[in-house]
Amino acid sequence: MKKGQEKLGWLFASPYLVYSLIFFVIPLFGALFLSFTNWNLISPQYENVGFLNFIQSVKSPGVKAAFFVTYKFMIIFVPMVLIGSLILSLIIYSLPRFKSFFSVGYFLPYLASGVATSVVVRGILSYNSALNAWLRNTWHLNIDWLGSPILAPLIIAVMISWKFMGYYSLILTSGLESIPGEVYEAAAIDGATGWIKFFKITLPLLYPAMFTVTILAVGLVFGIFTEPYVLTGGGPGFSTNTWQIEIYNQAFSKLNAGYGSAIAIIDSVVTFVTIIIVRKLLEIWGKTYGWE
Amino acid sequence: MVGSKNRKLQLILLYTIAIIFLIIMVYPYLYMILNSLAPWDQVDRKIIPTGITLKSYIWLLLGGEDVTPRPWLRAFANSIIVTISSTFLMMVTALLVAYALSKIVFKGSRTINNIIMFQMFYPSIILLIPTFLLVKKLGLYDSYWGMIIPKSVSLWAIFMYTNFFKAIPNELIEAAKIDGANEIKILFKIVLPMSKSITTVIFLFLFMERWVELLWDMLVVHNQNLLTLNVMLAQMFGPYGAYPGPMYAASVILTMPILILFIIFSKNFKEGIQFVLK
Repeated sequence: MKKGQEKLGWLFASPYLVYSLIFFVIPLFGALFLSFTNWNLISPQYENVGFLNFIQSVKSPGVKAAFFVTYKFMIIFVPMVLIGSLILSLIIYSLPRFKSFFSVGYFLPYLASGVATSVVVRGILSYNSALNAWLRNTWHLNIDWLGSPILAPLIIAVMISWKFMGYYSLILTSGLESIPGEVYEAAAIDGATGWIKFFKITLPLLYPAMFTVTILAVGLVFGIFTEPYVLTGGGPGFSTNTWQIEIYNQAFSKLNAGYGSAIAIIDSVVTFVTIIIVRKLLEIWGKTYGWE
Repeated sequence: MVGSKNRKLQLILLYTIAIIFLIIMVYPYLYMILNSLAPWDQVDRKIIPTGITLKSYIWLLLGGEDVTPRPWLRAFANSIIVTISSTFLMMVTALLVAYALSKIVFKGSRTINNIIMFQMFYPSIILLIPTFLLVKKLGLYDSYWGMIIPKSVSLWAIFMYTNFFKAIPNELIEAAKIDGANEIKILFKIVLPMSKSITTVIFLFLFMERWVELLWDMLVVHNQNLLTLNVMLAQMFGPYGAYPGPMYAASVILTMPILILFIIFSKNFKEGIQFVLK
């Protein structure tokens, strides 16, 4: 009986084991190996080039751009999506009826393909669009939205916030619902109302949920690909050149598989370190204010 | 008396704000649908078009004066084939593996659990280039299998099912074993029916993510007849820049299946999502 269980366990787990060997372990070593070569995806020959790929990539404008563009996105996108999802969750929480109707409605953007959203955004911002015509005729404003290195990243941040706000608001709503009613009653006796109640009670008690959402949002920034790939191609002037765009361009457009692998390794180290730092900062912040 | 009047006013204000946000959140979908049906001289130019036409859809499928049509219907079928096969495999493998990790006592289960946690937080971008080369070596390049097999196991789904199954009492399973049921039968006849809402959520998330995958499907398939709808839309984004109407029509065709699927399952989704968010 016992022995049968042992075999059965491994048998049931075998799809995962085989998959992980082929699509995790082998590629992991493959990436390390490739990053020290100058292989170009096609020719049968390649050489070991030592740390050259890493040295070159750290110096290259594309990788430098990816590094800073990611933090730029973080500074714009994370507060935007946090405030947006907080507003949505407060709305859902306060509604006495039709809660699920609205939360499902707010969740719908999560289903959108970034490609389809890009089609819509290009249309809304095109030269002859209703919006631009109105801006020109009424305000004499002629804005080249996607051609501006300041506006283009902002637009992509708005697109991604739109997509994820409803999803994150579900996490925050369940956080709000877990705050016991007595806490508010006690506060009401002490005379706390409106904003004071929000900042002194709701926000601190929502800290665990906000923590989760912040970490998710920070991690997401490192995976931005579809929107800049379709809409801006990483431009104008590298202003939306994310890590994934840079890796894709180097490895698959310019066919530098070795060089691309080196960038991917640098990217994953940067991602890892950033998330750890953000986690630590949030924990310190939470402790300082006595939140948990 | 004054209090209740105030409360009423507050509620009206609250619902107004809720509806304004709802309109913002669904507006891009409305915009897409309206413009796919708008006369071509009004596309993007009118907030609400004055007429309705199917010209964009017809053009998309049949092509125009000097534009040869692309196999959009074929791409739609490809998306369905790839998404359904891939999602089905991810569900089945997750069920089996999660059952092993939560309900079968064997030596390696703890280690496997820990490795899965590690893999989930590992930045997968590092695997992209070598996986691509491997898939090419295995002869899966430019085939459905190239899109399906590398996406046949979902760590997230295994993780979710494992946690959910742990809450199912072992007595139930022991009782079924005494009745002579084998593990496969227990998994599909007892455990799975008890996991309806979580299964709905996992299925929807996996389906959705597979449906809108861009990077991998774009890399691994070159043949025009094998492209998924999402990839074809991305490829035509530039070339069809002068034909916004048909681009909206293609976007609608891409978006609708997933919206409809979600709305059909939204009741189960509401129940299951609470577990996923924990």
